[in-house]
Amino acid sequence: MTSLALSLDPPALIRLHDVLICLSKFSETVAIEAEPTLLRLSALNSTKTGFASFAFEKNAFFEAYSFQTSSAGHSGSIAQDRFFCQIYAKALLSIFRGRIDRNKDTAVERCDMELHEDPQQAECRLTVKMICGLGVIKSYKLTYEPAAIQHAVFDKSKATSMWAADPRFLKNLIEHFSSSAEQLDMYSDSGKAVFTSFTTKVTEGKGTEFPSPRQKLSYANAGIEILKHPVHTSVATDKLDFQEYLVEDNMHVAINLKDFKAIVGHAETVNATVTARFTRPCKPLQLEYLVEGVQAEFTIMTRGQADDDVPSSRATIPRETPAPITISARPSETQASAPNTMPPPPPRSRSIRPLNGSSAQENLTQKTSADRPLASGLSMEFDSLFVPADDDRQWDEMNEEEPQDILGWDASGTQDAFGASIRDAEPSLGANERTEEDDEMGLPPTQRLSQVRQYGLFD
Amino acid sequence: MRFRTQLKDSRTFSKLTASLSTLGKVCWMRLEYDVIRFTIIPDQGTQVWASIPVGTIFDETTYSLESNSDAINIEVNISVLNRALRSAWGSSHTQLRLTKKDKLPLLALTVLASEWTDGNMALATDETPGETTGDRGPRERQTWITQEVPIKILHESAVEGLHEPHCPDPEVHIILPNLGQLKSISDRFTKLASTSVKGNQSGIVVPEAPSDNTSTFGANTTGSTNSSPKLELSANMHGSLRLAIATDELRISSFWSDLVNPPLDPAQMTQEQIEQLPSERNRMRQAREGDESGWAKVRIDGKDWSRVLSIGRMSPKVVACFVNDIALVLYVYLPGSWNGEESCLTYYINSFTT
Repeated sequence: MTSLALSLDPPALIRLHDVLICLSKFSETVAIEAEPTLLRLSALNSTKTGFASFAFEKNAFFEAYSFQTSSAGHSGSIAQDRFFCQIYAKALLSIFRGRIDRNKDTAVERCDMELHEDPQQAECRLTVKMICGLGVIKSYKLTYEPAAIQHAVFDKSKATSMWAADPRFLKNLIEHFSSSAEQLDMYSDSGKAVFTSFTTKVTEGKGTEFPSPRQKLSYANAGIEILKHPVHTSVATDKLDFQEYLVEDNMHVAINLKDFKAIVGHAETVNATVTARFTRPCKPLQLEYLVEGVQAEFTIMTRGQADDDVPSSRATIPRETPAPITISARPSETQASAPNTMPPPPPRSRSIRPLNGSSAQENLTQKTSADRPLASGLSMEFDSLFVPADDDRQWDEMNEEEPQDILGWDASGTQDAFGASIRDAEPSLGANERTEEDDEMGLPPTQRLSQVRQYGLFD
Repeated sequence: MRFRTQLKDSRTFSKLTASLSTLGKVCWMRLEYDVIRFTIIPDQGTQVWASIPVGTIFDETTYSLESNSDAINIEVNISVLNRALRSAWGSSHTQLRLTKKDKLPLLALTVLASEWTDGNMALATDETPGETTGDRGPRERQTWITQEVPIKILHESAVEGLHEPHCPDPEVHIILPNLGQLKSISDRFTKLASTSVKGNQSGIVVPEAPSDNTSTFGANTTGSTNSSPKLELSANMHGSLRLAIATDELRISSFWSDLVNPPLDPAQMTQEQIEQLPSERNRMRQAREGDESGWAKVRIDGKDWSRVLSIGRMSPKVVACFVNDIALVLYVYLPGSWNGEESCLTYYINSFTT
């Protein structure tokens, strides 16, 4: 039996709303983790290249906060004093939208949230009560989903580069980039900090909207594709404009511009200095800020030329591979109850399989890579935050002792194809069915194909 | 082939591109020694031919153009160019040049933006220990911004066949009232007509009248092919302009009087020639017969008209030439002439048949 109860005053409610808006730009679902001293909201994007996390401190952010869990039924698990679930971001957002700023008599005066988790009860509900003026109380019950939650791990102490900057300054930089730009390349060049946007694919669209028939005639044989190429924007600023700037010269680190916009957008609303820490391309980068009891951390995967130009760096720069950490509220139960309750998110419920054989991930990979012709510049694709770039352990013998929850889908080592396949595996319901099928396929066949021919299915 | 210049007035350039981009995406830009020409010929709707003296938007002392054909023809997505120019607002130093990158031609816009900053002492937080990179006091912050806009170079032969449309001599020419006012009224009319149409689930009734008009440019689109509301714009040579819309439910009109019917430039034509023009004959006839005669009318698409009027942001002087039932040609003169040469945008708007 776990219970969580908290109260928010109107300013905190506004800030929670802002946080949810930011999180919703990463993922459709928001993960909620409750601990005795803090509440964490996080979101992991579908390609697993961006992870956003906001930790709210018990005393600094909430008017009241209580989290209780009875350890009965759990034995020696680290999950004992934590509770995890996930909730549809839009559902949460819609509750808070437009509830706050009104100068009405019935403006929200306090917001109470409650959650009681009882293994005996199938219902999973988060109760939100808006205590408004004139005695109006608005209650909402939201369905949540028990879920194992993934965290991207980032070791700050091993970061070799960092910068810190005013969010408004960063906002000014971003404004120069066109809305269609996808990636942001950051590097340092002799006293200048340079931000460059680029787009890997040419804007898709109907060719018909561009030239008029008349132009088609007169401009005859010239293709119009060139005009669809994205604008290439580059902004160079003095390093002095940063509060701190310690970055190796000419090291190009690229991130998703949309993520960066979402982060800076939020940092600007709370006016918090943004600190970035990173090591080198194709390793995670963390953006972080702290404001009034809320710690925001964004771990995003970078791209660029990984090791080609710095071959020696592998040995010298301490490597911090983000180990996949999966934490489960009820390790035993999640497994047992999976088929008849909410579908657990597919990737993490899959166990490690041998590299040969018809494993689930290989099936998936084949399927999706056929659907999706992969671009030639695959080496430039983002690696997932959770796929160790070069993890020697993948070649080890399979360890039977390992907990079942550990992420298994990097076992094939085909990261490139994986980036694509995981994306498609995300819709949890369909993927759950697939998981069950996969389990069956894991068993050796017991009947010869020739034996079943008579049933007409395989004629 | 070389082109390089400093921008003299990035805001004017930006407004110009913004106004042009409402009509179409692809813009043919012709760089000549004295003028820059912008031409947009969309699939449907109004086409615009603009001729802007170099000095209006570019700094003439830095303007340099080299080409075998004495001109450079490029094709650019005008809204993309407009977006890029936004970075140049308030900048003292903006350069535009033609360049190449990976064999792809580009218009590169380089902007030096400087702004005064208070320093960021107040924002320093203790979560980021470490040595600071320098002085944090108030100072001028300088940012270099480069925007590389992809373009296509057009060979002279590719544009040879493109000419401004020919029009019959107009029956009426008149200076339009304030475009902001005209636009808000037009938009209001268009909106009223569209909502009344929507409410009734029926299109505007277009009587099947045989059209004996032939246009010299473009195909005269009939009203029935396009269901968006059509405005009726009419004027006479006696300073009157009428804007009207009619649907099954409503019939509204606005009337302006005491507008100016500008005299024609005697340097271009002899007095006799001028007197033979339909507009001048109209002017004389009205002097005899009174205000209510000699109207010329066009039917134009409400939404297209609204896009045309977005040029109003440059507060130009607009002479509207009415060719009865055939076309409306707008001569849009931007404020401030340069070396006696005026910036002129010419809009060719087809009249819809009834």
